[in-house]
Amino acid sequence: MGELVLDALGKRFGASVAVERVDLEVPQGQMVALLGPSGCGKTTTLRMVAGFVPPSAGRVLIAGKDVTRAPPHARDTGMVFQSYALFPHMSVAENVAFGLEMRRVGRADRDARTREALRLVRLEGLEDRLPRQLSGGQQQRVALARALVVNPAVFLLDEPLSNLDAKLRGEVRMEIRALQQRLGLTTLIVTHDQEEALTMADRLVVMERGRVRQVGTAEDLYERPADPFVAGFVGRCNLLEGALEAPGRFRAAGGEVLPCAAGPAPGGRSVLALRPEHIRIAPSTDGPARLRAATYLGAQTEYHAELGGTPLVVVRPTPGAEDPLRRILPGDAVSLSWDPSAARLLPAAPHDERGA
Amino acid sequence: MSITRRSAMAAAAIAAASAGLPRPVRAQAKQVVVGTWGGDYGELLRQNIDAPLMGPQGIEVLQDVANADPRKTKMLAERQARRGTFDVSCLSDTDMQMMAQQNTLETIDFGRLSRAGSIVPALRKPYAVPHIYSALVLLYNPDKVTTPPTSFADMWDPKYRGRVGFSDILYSTNTFAAAMAGGGSFSDYGPAKAKLMELRSLDAKIFPSNEALAAALKGEEVWMTPMWLARGYMWQKAGIPLRHVVPKEGAYAILFEAAVPRNSRNKDNAYAYLDAMLKPEAQTAFADRMGYLPTVTDATLPPEIARAISLSEADQARLRAPDYDYLLRAHSEVLDFWNKQFKG
Amino acid sequence: MAALVLPAGLLVTLLLVAPMLLLFRISLNEYSPTEMMVEATTAANYLRAVADPYYRSVLGTTLAVATGSTLLALVLGFPAAYWLARMQGRWKSLATILVLFPLLVGNVVRAAGWLALLGNGGAINAALLGLGLVAAPLPLLYNTGAVVAGIVAVVLPYMVLTLSAIIESIPRQTEEAASNLGARPMTVFRRVVLPLALPGVAAGSVLVFVLCMNTYASAVLLGGPRFKMMAPAVYDQFVRGNNWPFGAALAFILLGITLVLTVAGSAVLGRRYRRRETEERA
Repeated sequence: MGELVLDALGKRFGASVAVERVDLEVPQGQMVALLGPSGCGKTTTLRMVAGFVPPSAGRVLIAGKDVTRAPPHARDTGMVFQSYALFPHMSVAENVAFGLEMRRVGRADRDARTREALRLVRLEGLEDRLPRQLSGGQQQRVALARALVVNPAVFLLDEPLSNLDAKLRGEVRMEIRALQQRLGLTTLIVTHDQEEALTMADRLVVMERGRVRQVGTAEDLYERPADPFVAGFVGRCNLLEGALEAPGRFRAAGGEVLPCAAGPAPGGRSVLALRPEHIRIAPSTDGPARLRAATYLGAQTEYHAELGGTPLVVVRPTPGAEDPLRRILPGDAVSLSWDPSAARLLPAAPHDERGA
Repeated sequence: MSITRRSAMAAAAIAAASAGLPRPVRAQAKQVVVGTWGGDYGELLRQNIDAPLMGPQGIEVLQDVANADPRKTKMLAERQARRGTFDVSCLSDTDMQMMAQQNTLETIDFGRLSRAGSIVPALRKPYAVPHIYSALVLLYNPDKVTTPPTSFADMWDPKYRGRVGFSDILYSTNTFAAAMAGGGSFSDYGPAKAKLMELRSLDAKIFPSNEALAAALKGEEVWMTPMWLARGYMWQKAGIPLRHVVPKEGAYAILFEAAVPRNSRNKDNAYAYLDAMLKPEAQTAFADRMGYLPTVTDATLPPEIARAISLSEADQARLRAPDYDYLLRAHSEVLDFWNKQFKG
Repeated sequence: MAALVLPAGLLVTLLLVAPMLLLFRISLNEYSPTEMMVEATTAANYLRAVADPYYRSVLGTTLAVATGSTLLALVLGFPAAYWLARMQGRWKSLATILVLFPLLVGNVVRAAGWLALLGNGGAINAALLGLGLVAAPLPLLYNTGAVVAGIVAVVLPYMVLTLSAIIESIPRQTEEAASNLGARPMTVFRRVVLPLALPGVAAGSVLVFVLCMNTYASAVLLGGPRFKMMAPAVYDQFVRGNNWPFGAALAFILLGITLVLTVAGSAVLGRRYRRRETEERA
């Protein structure tokens, strides 16, 4: 086990940039998620760590050793592939023992460790099955055991849950996290599913179009997004364009003036980020906003309101039967309010660049 | 889309199928199918007979080109068929004799040939007309073989170890040469066996075709070979250093003939074709280009060609016709020995 | 459906089976120099072929050349097939066309190409002589090596296409998983790619072996007059010797031995592959 360091890692395919420049440290025993939409460069980054893609720039260090030029088989990483990539012609036990065999572990030791790894993923008794005789969840656990049994310095997970059905996904997520913490595995996981990343990882790296947008804990990203992309990608967010008129006063593109956090000096275009659950909504006789639609979601209700020309999504706990809010209809006037500190000002530039 | 494609494919299939069928519709036109060798022979037929002599008669000539063996096989295979492939079949005298023996050939009605009277009498057969002929000689490279050879037996001179070459397709002729060198005769190829094995230990070379042999003669890889004089003439013209001798043991003439298969579908046109083959101008062209002698008395050769390809009285005296019956009976054994023992 | 299948089935039977039956009937006849063929029911032609050391050696040469050529095509074809299977995008279609291209040229024409390359006056010897590396042309033609080269050039596209189809079905990630677990490239090949490609190896080898056993043009043109394989020997009997019964017997011996060997060969390779499935059922 050891820490993983990516030092200014970049990859170009011809003229197109897959990964711009990634600096990242995964300390010993931590789990870091690379999160982003497809094509953001997260998988390419993971494959550069595994050695399947040669970087165009930068370095990969595993446990302090520069492995940038090392072939995959000399890197001591254990990878779980999206498709599991089990060896279809080998039994479960042979699949798991393969890495040990490559490391020339003696037969007795090999058998013991294989048994132990299969016990860890709760697959005892299936040693002699072939992969195609297993369910998707079982195959996934074989892939986990196969990667874990060699005790890799770095554990790599490439969308490990995307081939499982929704119910199983939640279970396996917790199982992987528990294993990772129990074994103290330095782990890099790639996912496009923010919930997966938020629940499993110690830290998240949000990537977009080959660039790292923000690195931080789940809370960092949610509460203090660095830019509109992160704010919109991690959780839901109302993103309003406009400019800071005076400290605490944001004028949206539609003309309305909205209270916001103090922010930097006024002037210049920026984006106001406001989480739907941070907005309070109440019936009003002359409120400035109108309700467009309300969707009952059980514990929560989602309101689509319009403030002047600006649409806003509000999510609140479903009001009690006595609450007047329960009776409002589309078209009714409502008042919206929020704690000014919940309305964060973000730079507009990256958003513009994306539109360019 | 799929219907269009299917019908297009069906049309293609019909076109392909009809290409392979005998030509029932086109047979209305006047046609003659000539089974012949390709190369110079076929081309000379086209230039000197098909176009200038048959064309004006309104007869279209279709050449069916292949070596003699496959064409013989085809004729034998079609023996029972009412309608055969060929209207005219061009073969060497030995092959033609075999085809006549197998009852595949029409007896020629010489009354239908306007040129019948000009045929050299000695070359006339009941089942075929002679077209051109040449003599079996020993070809040698005068720069390397400085003492001119006089007999087939000279090929066994240890001086010429590894320098005697044979064309594989002339296995029968080569076996004859060995038989004569070993004291055999036109009707006894027996002595050839020992002589050929002796030559084999003298490292004789075998070439898959006449052309490959010519290349080896030109490259002076081999210096001596039994061959038709006409071939020698052509090769000399192509710049290969060669002289020829009619071996003193005696040799035979090779005669190329044309005949009409019994199941020919256009016999009238076939006779017209045979007649055209006997025209002096057509015969002269073969002499000029390929070095074969005319088979009609009234064809005149330019003097220098006549000198190069004609034989002296003494040479002519050593030439005889092959023993066709013997060849037919011995053919299979000769081929077997050639393949299994000599080449094996 | 049946209305379409039945005539087609009959046509195939007619085209494939009828000539075989006819040929078999001919093989039981007797040869006569004057009559060509005499109706009979005798095994003499078969007995003669089996008893004659010459034909035994022709068969031996044929088997050796076919086996050697098949193995060489496998060894040369596997890397090419792998490379082709792992190619992407438009280069892949281009490379596939390139592999197919030799099939557009007939065997005879390709053999002629080898003649122009290997002959005494051919390109290689001309170059060697021109550079003064040799004093006399090297005998590159008319030997087993030339025949094997010619055959392998003919059959290689079949091998490459058969193998690349199966290699394409092996996910790239399976190989990556093996190397991720510490397997070197040769080990990845031996432990993962080869076992998974075995059905393709079997299919390609059987196809190529059958083609090799029936080699005609390469043997005649590149092997020269002294080199004998079964197909030219059959042709010799039919066309030069006019001995149809014996030629037919030789053809059936060639057919029978090819059939037995390919069935046995695919059974052996198939068993290695299928061992798993038997265990699975047990």
